[in-house]
Amino acid sequence: MAIVRDLTYLMFFPAGLGLIAAGLFYQWIDRKLLARFQNRLGPRWFQPFADALKLLGKEEIQPHGTSAFLFAALPILALAGVLTAGLAVPLFGLPPVFSFPGDLVVSLYLLSLLMLCTGLAGAQTRGRFSLTGALRAFTQVFAYEAPFILALLSPSIALMIAGEAGSWQIWELAQSAANRPWFALTLPFTFIVAIIGLMGKLELPPFDAPEAETEIVAGALTEYSGRGLALFNLARAAELVIGLMLITALYLGGVGDGLLVPIIFTAKSLGLLVIVVMLQTVLARLRIDQTVSLWWKLGSVLVIAQWLIILIIRVLNLGG
Amino acid sequence: MMVEGSTRNLRDLLERVRNWALANSPWLVHYNSGSCNGCDIEILATLTPRYDLERLGIKLQGSPRHADVLVCTGPVTRQSRDRLRRIYEQMPEPKFVVAVGTCSISGGVFRGCYNILGGIDEAIPVDAYIPGCPPRPEAIINGVALLLKQLQPDRVDEIDNLMVEMGIDPHAIPQEEDLTDEYADPIGIR
Ligand code: SF4
Repeated sequence: MAIVRDLTYLMFFPAGLGLIAAGLFYQWIDRKLLARFQNRLGPRWFQPFADALKLLGKEEIQPHGTSAFLFAALPILALAGVLTAGLAVPLFGLPPVFSFPGDLVVSLYLLSLLMLCTGLAGAQTRGRFSLTGALRAFTQVFAYEAPFILALLSPSIALMIAGEAGSWQIWELAQSAANRPWFALTLPFTFIVAIIGLMGKLELPPFDAPEAETEIVAGALTEYSGRGLALFNLARAAELVIGLMLITALYLGGVGDGLLVPIIFTAKSLGLLVIVVMLQTVLARLRIDQTVSLWWKLGSVLVIAQWLIILIIRVLNLGG
Repeated sequence: MMVEGSTRNLRDLLERVRNWALANSPWLVHYNSGSCNGCDIEILATLTPRYDLERLGIKLQGSPRHADVLVCTGPVTRQSRDRLRRIYEQMPEPKFVVAVGTCSISGGVFRGCYNILGGIDEAIPVDAYIPGCPPRPEAIINGVALLLKQLQPDRVDEIDNLMVEMGIDPHAIPQEEDLTDEYADPIGIR
């Protein structure tokens, strides 16, 4: 029985297919809200599902000059990495499927796999648009990755600096976060960095320079068609959900006890999505060098400033 | 027999799902093979929030590899014929071609020029023709809707309703006064 239950958790809900379906649904909310903000009616609710099915049913063309193995493997690797990262995250406020000490760090690195695979996919095709897109994708990884990871590690680090037991396990952190004020209020700087880092990770505007369709067609994925493109899209959809859930679990009050917790938790992550869509609507695309300087001059400084503030408060408390 | 029948059913079902998905998310790529730019501007007008084609799942893509429908404007010039063919061949199956504007059907005002081959169908097969010089956005939507209806005969009513919502009469036979723009006075005074 246990194995049936585990398999259901793994394949259907909350991880696996359920996660992908939720990702497509979140993508619809994203597109619909964006359309409403732009005074349009927006797509119908099944639009992302139709897109994904259509792409899966189309011919896949493998362009000349690419390695057949890499071309086929990279989309699978990207999707697998994202789905694996979802295992340790309390999706929809339910206990994670598989949790172990240190899973926070592992998940964060698995989440970067999507961007790395996208970059590699672009770099190994010969088209100049994909190459430029890949270059920008890698540059962006180096820009946002350090501040983003530091921002998501911050709740735990803050606990350690404050002299309490920190942890590198998402589930433990989420449960202990439920018993204290929201980290979003006590650590506002790193919360902002985490949200904006998520937008950079998902290549949402204003960080969509790697796939700027007005300049470089479709960036790194220009040469992908059919199945490969569909898998990359699914991976991005799942990453959107996982990212939002992770930030909700760490910063917006964690996961407490009670029957209503999953509903409240999902509602919080949807609220976060609304904020992300609003930022997308009002901000224009940054040039890639502006992105880099924004992250290194502002993002990481904000994170370190936050740590300093905690440290100073601690020292003052001890002194007084 | 049973096995054969059920695999056929399964294949039918898969075919239906595929058709449904295709008809609900046609992604366009737009190529100008020698048009005067009039038709291109009308296409852009069609894609603006005024008509909001995302309601039909239509999206403009940059890369032919991502697209299902090639929207062509203008006559095919000798220069652009090879490019047009190459773009067509870069698109993954199943793919469709829509020719927008009189020029793309017959060569239009450019017909007979030394550098013109004629309409789009001189170079690649065409699935839908949209006449007009340039066709208004309503006409372009009508043409795309015709294509979608062909793909999905059982959803004709739904598509018709959507078009009525957009202010387009799906069954109208164009009269002469429909084809003239009410804002463009021949003398030049509004
Ligand atoms: S049909 Fe008219 S508007 Fe369109 S390309 Fe030809 S001349 Fe220009």
